[in-house]
Amino acid sequence: MSTETAPPSTVRVDARDKVTGTLRYGTDRVPPGMLHAALAVATVAKGRLVHLDTEAAAALPGVHLVLTHADADELTSGGFLLGGGYGFQSFQPLTGDRIAYRGQPIALVVADTLHVATEAAALVRAEYESEPGAFTLDAPGAEALVQSEAIPLPMFADVVAGDADGVLAEAATRPGAVVIDAVYDHPAQHQNPMELIGTVAEWRSAGDGGADILTVHEGTQNAGAVQHGVATQLGIDADRVEVISPSVGGGFGQKNSLQPQTALVAIAARRVGRPVKLVVPRTQVFHDSSFRPATRQHIRLAADGTGRMLAAVHEVDQQTSRHDLFPGTHTEITSRLYGIPNYRGLQRLVRTDVQTPGYMRAPYEHSAAFAFESAVDELAVALGQDPVELRLANDTDTDPVSGEPFSSRHLAECLRRGAERFGWARRTPEPGSMRADDGSRVGWGVAVGCYPGMAAPTAARVCAEPSGAVRVEVGAHEMGQGLRTAMVRTVAADLGIPAGDVTPAVGDTRALPHHLTAGSWGTAGALPAIALALAELRTALKVPEQGPVDVAAAVAATGRDSVEVEAVYTAPGQPPQVLDRLRAGLPAPGGPEHPGFVTFSWVAHFVEVRIEPTIHRIRVPRVVSVADCGRVASPTTAGSQLRGGVVWGISAALRESSEVDPRFGGFLNASLEEYPIAVNADIGEIDVDFIDTPDPMLNSLGVKGLGEVSMVGVAGAVANAVHHATGRRFRRLPIHLEDVL
Amino acid sequence: MATPVRTDETARTTAPSPPFSTTVHVGFRVNDEDVELDLDPRESLLDVLRERLELTGTKKGCDHGHCGACTVHVDGRRVVSCLTPAVQAQGTAVTTIEGVAGPGGELHPVQQAFVDHDALQCGYCTPGQVMSGIACIDEGHAGDDAQAREYLSGNLCRCGAYPGIVAAVRAVADRSEG
Repeated sequence: MSTETAPPSTVRVDARDKVTGTLRYGTDRVPPGMLHAALAVATVAKGRLVHLDTEAAAALPGVHLVLTHADADELTSGGFLLGGGYGFQSFQPLTGDRIAYRGQPIALVVADTLHVATEAAALVRAEYESEPGAFTLDAPGAEALVQSEAIPLPMFADVVAGDADGVLAEAATRPGAVVIDAVYDHPAQHQNPMELIGTVAEWRSAGDGGADILTVHEGTQNAGAVQHGVATQLGIDADRVEVISPSVGGGFGQKNSLQPQTALVAIAARRVGRPVKLVVPRTQVFHDSSFRPATRQHIRLAADGTGRMLAAVHEVDQQTSRHDLFPGTHTEITSRLYGIPNYRGLQRLVRTDVQTPGYMRAPYEHSAAFAFESAVDELAVALGQDPVELRLANDTDTDPVSGEPFSSRHLAECLRRGAERFGWARRTPEPGSMRADDGSRVGWGVAVGCYPGMAAPTAARVCAEPSGAVRVEVGAHEMGQGLRTAMVRTVAADLGIPAGDVTPAVGDTRALPHHLTAGSWGTAGALPAIALALAELRTALKVPEQGPVDVAAAVAATGRDSVEVEAVYTAPGQPPQVLDRLRAGLPAPGGPEHPGFVTFSWVAHFVEVRIEPTIHRIRVPRVVSVADCGRVASPTTAGSQLRGGVVWGISAALRESSEVDPRFGGFLNASLEEYPIAVNADIGEIDVDFIDTPDPMLNSLGVKGLGEVSMVGVAGAVANAVHHATGRRFRRLPIHLEDVL
Repeated sequence: MATPVRTDETARTTAPSPPFSTTVHVGFRVNDEDVELDLDPRESLLDVLRERLELTGTKKGCDHGHCGACTVHVDGRRVVSCLTPAVQAQGTAVTTIEGVAGPGGELHPVQQAFVDHDALQCGYCTPGQVMSGIACIDEGHAGDDAQAREYLSGNLCRCGAYPGIVAAVRAVADRSEG
């Protein structure tokens, strides 16, 4: 046996399966007899279907089924994720003649091959009664609501501390004080994980005289919601639905809930009596799933002449749909970045005629930090202060909102260490004062970010075999963040066994109830759940509470074939009722305000931009990012995740915008050609580092989330660097080369 | 409220095309094995690999040649298999991600370098990245970091594993030259 107790920090446990193409994703499944499906979608943005002619489609040789609202009577809505249901929106296509958004599915065609199905879908003829719609924040008919009134729940209430408006008014007239008052615009964006949305649905007889069993293979961050949601939609028991999603080809929030196509494919498979696969084309994905809603953010920020921040007001208008209220919590982080004693947040929701927007990596925090950290940079310029020093001078150990202590906050150390690694001391403050040898204008910018430290109920099972092998299962999802690697490292380190003896399993509702994996709580829930299960295992094996275990001998001593234990972790202070939500496939995260403390992850980003002298292309040759995510559970995968977040921030700042057609609705650039995301040549050197100090309160392992905080603040640092290079302030993303000509 | 302002149709204005009764018999090699198939001429090499031959290591990310997840080698050259009609593979030798490891399962140096440099996260784009990386080195387009970045930019990675991908490809390129 190897004496190695954890895999080398350089190894991701599923890397070999990924580089050989043997890892199976949802729609890699090709069961015998499988048919292919394609969607026909609405070409108007709002109105009513008055006629749907499927005759030509159904007559095409090879077509087995054309499903429309006229004959999908068994289908109901799975409800809205934020309204007690399971879906990214409450609106379920094919349940009526209503058209709520352009690109809405109006028919599902099933055929022998993908090509016949696609051809047949194009033959579906629809006539509409069209209505005018509102597609942008300013459009006539876009209806603005105050979130705290529209959704009267404590978690969506406005953040208020002290008397921000009074102090701002007073500062405006006080000599020496500085007030920044600016509006920042962020476009709609789409998550675009490389794996398309898709479903393979198969029915089989249960053999128990009961209803048939439905198996769903699809990439999802929320197998529990898919299981319970589809069961709800079809009116069957949830224990008749199995969802298998061991590997997700990227989620980024898009796959965090029930998608509209899943139940359609399940119904089709039941009707035709054969397995059915639907892979939603990339163009349709732009309208068949959620997206990051457009926002407009008004920041007012006051400081005294020394740079002490006195007050801030952050007002946010965020797009939502007609049929759902997708809430925003942008002010949750901007109220905590600094020790600002007087703060007022306001979240408004603006109804537009789109599919319901939703979560996309750092869903609020990214745009909020872009706005607020731009304003802080404007403040530094107005004060003539160094932007790192200004931030350090406004640090705090206490949450200014609740008055409770932060369980850990090493943001100042992130800033100091990042400045050192970046060489910030060599920056000359005057905008436009730095030039590269080739004549490029050089800009250095800094920004910070944070992300709420949440935790979710998580189920874990550990099984010790007579061979000494250990199987560890968690009701969570692997979407590239390195969960399997962190699981294996945790078990191997605890029991003192080789990593190769540990087999991880995730994403299978047949094994355990699954909680939504999002909000950076995946690892912060899975590892404490495993730790609880390992403690149970040690008890069952009658071995000491700590120290290496001879698993084979301990199992043999019990006289049993194997020893299996289960445990469920809940966030600090969560009531037992959250377990009912876990078992029902409903989200139940706790935090960031926990009993007696408040938890956030923290990050500081330092960005260099170069604006080329001829065509003024904006390049980002290097970034330094330092994160405080508590203890680093898996150094290699954590480093990759932080670099990936930086790539997302660069992409959001300089590339990504979902262009809206203000006349006819829908998103115009619905392809990866016209919706550019950062490519390899866009990315330079990204130097990352971690504070790696355990959080003493959130959980026994000291881990906090990383996946989302890694992106928060990057776009602000890019925009601040562009200002430093050009002297021009851009308050609207993305920043394009034509802006800096 | 619901005033009709416009009537629209989704369908093409032309009459339905006649049903395809024609298939094309095609033969080619995939990962050193002969394959013979009767194909709908509309089928892409990607769909044939995935849905007929069950070689699902090759991924579909866009079906329009924008993302590179479907990259395979045809007679040693990298192509996006989603834009390659399968009938065009007639008489060629196709290599997919399943065909690059050694006979004993030993990883190709580029595969091993991806593991060593953690040049991946979710893994969905990885087969295409590996196939592009191998070709990029063979083409002599991995001479320095900037060149490698440029010639690997047809392969999108939404997880943002680009720094590791460049490091992996460059490490193998340097060894090949040395």
